[in-house]
Amino acid sequence: MAACLGRLLHSSGNLLRNGGEHRFAHLKRQAFHAGARALCSNASGGLTTIRPQDEVMRNQLTVFGEYVAECLPKYVQTVQVTSQNELEVLISPEGVVPVLSFLKDHHNAQFKSLADIACVDMPTKPYRFELVYMLMSLTYNSRIRVRTYTDEITPIESCYSVFKAADWYEREAWDMYGVYFSNHPDLRRILTDYGFEGHPFRKDFPLSGYVEIRYDNELKRIVQEPVELAQEFRKFDLSSTWETFPAHRQGSKPLMDTQGRGHEAPLEENPAEEKK
Amino acid sequence: MAGLVRTVGRRFFSAKATTGLTGMAVAKDPHVALRVLYTKTLAALEKLPKDAAYRQHTEGIINDRFDLVKTVPDVEELERKINCGQIEQVIIQAEAELSLARKMADWKAWEPLVSEPPEGQWKWP
Repeated sequence: MAACLGRLLHSSGNLLRNGGEHRFAHLKRQAFHAGARALCSNASGGLTTIRPQDEVMRNQLTVFGEYVAECLPKYVQTVQVTSQNELEVLISPEGVVPVLSFLKDHHNAQFKSLADIACVDMPTKPYRFELVYMLMSLTYNSRIRVRTYTDEITPIESCYSVFKAADWYEREAWDMYGVYFSNHPDLRRILTDYGFEGHPFRKDFPLSGYVEIRYDNELKRIVQEPVELAQEFRKFDLSSTWETFPAHRQGSKPLMDTQGRGHEAPLEENPAEEKK
Repeated sequence: MAGLVRTVGRRFFSAKATTGLTGMAVAKDPHVALRVLYTKTLAALEKLPKDAAYRQHTEGIINDRFDLVKTVPDVEELERKINCGQIEQVIIQAEAELSLARKMADWKAWEPLVSEPPEGQWKWP
């Protein structure tokens, strides 16, 4: 299919991050290769267990991400490409309909298919709900994710006018999380029971719920009663006692670098080996 | 899909029997349809500021396609030169871009960022 992308100008204000959570991915990869070469190579000295990186795909996605940021500077806050070569556009909530319309209608984008709308609840963040729109382009065989944020009381514009598929996806986000969509044709519960109160996928909603139902023989119908667990709820601490990712530790230096050498005293220099 | 090409005057009509896609009828006169759509789109783009990136890129695409429509009379050759599917699909793309260009003027999407995210909003995990 034609790659109809025009030549790009350098984008002005918006950040482009390669692999948000792997911000120093290129640094880490070199150091990891150096260590891994010693650990996992075959007889001829070739690397055997390193995942191959598709640089061409990554560059194409980066270029297109910059293009989107350049065309819509009013709404696009950041663009990033994950380590699995997935393009993500992070936008402000006022720009849901413009950005999705652009991605659907523009010649170079043509993301005609809305695959899913997901919601993520992160109660520690200022706007706790993050909405993720997953789009797919059939002409260019490409996917893109658009992410925004909102909280319990701020409504977000429904994209039903852009994608009809958003109808039920937004109903599900409302039912499970309580994200309100304005200008939605029919925003009501879709998965929970008819008289159900609460939004089950929120992090503060308990696993067992608040009510349980049973059939009452006198009343001859199902009744709802507060939930009674036969056994006290057990919460297991499933995290390992050993630190799993010393290179990704927040805020402090690892005790040992990737070569297995420890530090007796705090080091003043050598940033290539000390990762944050 | 090679076929005989009927000519009436200067214009060529596509001898395609079907597009092969459900619900997409063969366009009777694609050149005229594309000419009208591209002219309207360029007029809609005139309302955006000259330095807006969207306007520059879209004008480039539309002008390239418009030139091809003006110079290539044969429909199949036009499809091959544009290289973005069948001519009916190209017409649908042109209609979409026209509606987008009109809406972009209302949204003023070329302005600088309207709201910054709060501190730590995009931090993951």
